[in-house]
Amino acid sequence: MAGQAFRRSIDSVGDIYRFSEDVMAAADISESVRFPVHLAIEELFVNLVSYNPGARQDIVIDVHIENGGVTVTITDHDAAEFDVTRERPVDTGASLRERKPGGLGLHLIQHMVDTLEYDYRDGRSKIRFSKEPETRDV
Amino acid sequence: MFEIAYAESGEILCSGRLDAAQTAKAEAFLGRLDASQTLDFERLEYISSAGLAILLKTQKRLSGSGAAIRIINVNKHIYDIFRYSGFNAIFEIETL
Repeated sequence: MAGQAFRRSIDSVGDIYRFSEDVMAAADISESVRFPVHLAIEELFVNLVSYNPGARQDIVIDVHIENGGVTVTITDHDAAEFDVTRERPVDTGASLRERKPGGLGLHLIQHMVDTLEYDYRDGRSKIRFSKEPETRDV
Repeated sequence: MFEIAYAESGEILCSGRLDAAQTAKAEAFLGRLDASQTLDFERLEYISSAGLAILLKTQKRLSGSGAAIRIINVNKHIYDIFRYSGFNAIFEIETL
């Protein structure tokens, strides 16, 4: 398990990518796992930063590798309650005129990771997701 | 890091990672477009919902004058993002 705390700023996104990429590359994780893991970490981190602008504490990201799969835990000790597992329907069939920018992050995560869990208590949110290798990657 | 620039062919080359920290560069460049244009994603490794929002905003603005952006050389992972977002129906896309 590798973990690191990141300043709650959109500017941390590059550092978070380098941290998680280093951990996954060292374990020879396939690109078909790495891409959705990077996407899910970014979307969840940006959500925590954007929807709780008054918070100050760093956000901790832990990456655990096992059998070619990756489990990530994101812990925010200064969080507002926001259940990321709740369905947020997006009308992906809407016309260009009807589509509005934004709102796709959680929709994408819910399609691209294998498990997604959320726990909130006493101002601390813990989000955990996992991505397993596709059969042809093993 | 994300880079965006015109190629000699006149197409727009995008490279690197279009994540939430890089959207200002993309928005500044694409915000100047006033006619149909092709974006070449051959060297674009990654895009998140923040990047998708810039593409959608640009497409909506251009559609007002009958113009559109077309995206070529899209890798499999980015195409998956477009598909799950429904963007494959509102952009002309060619995969690698």
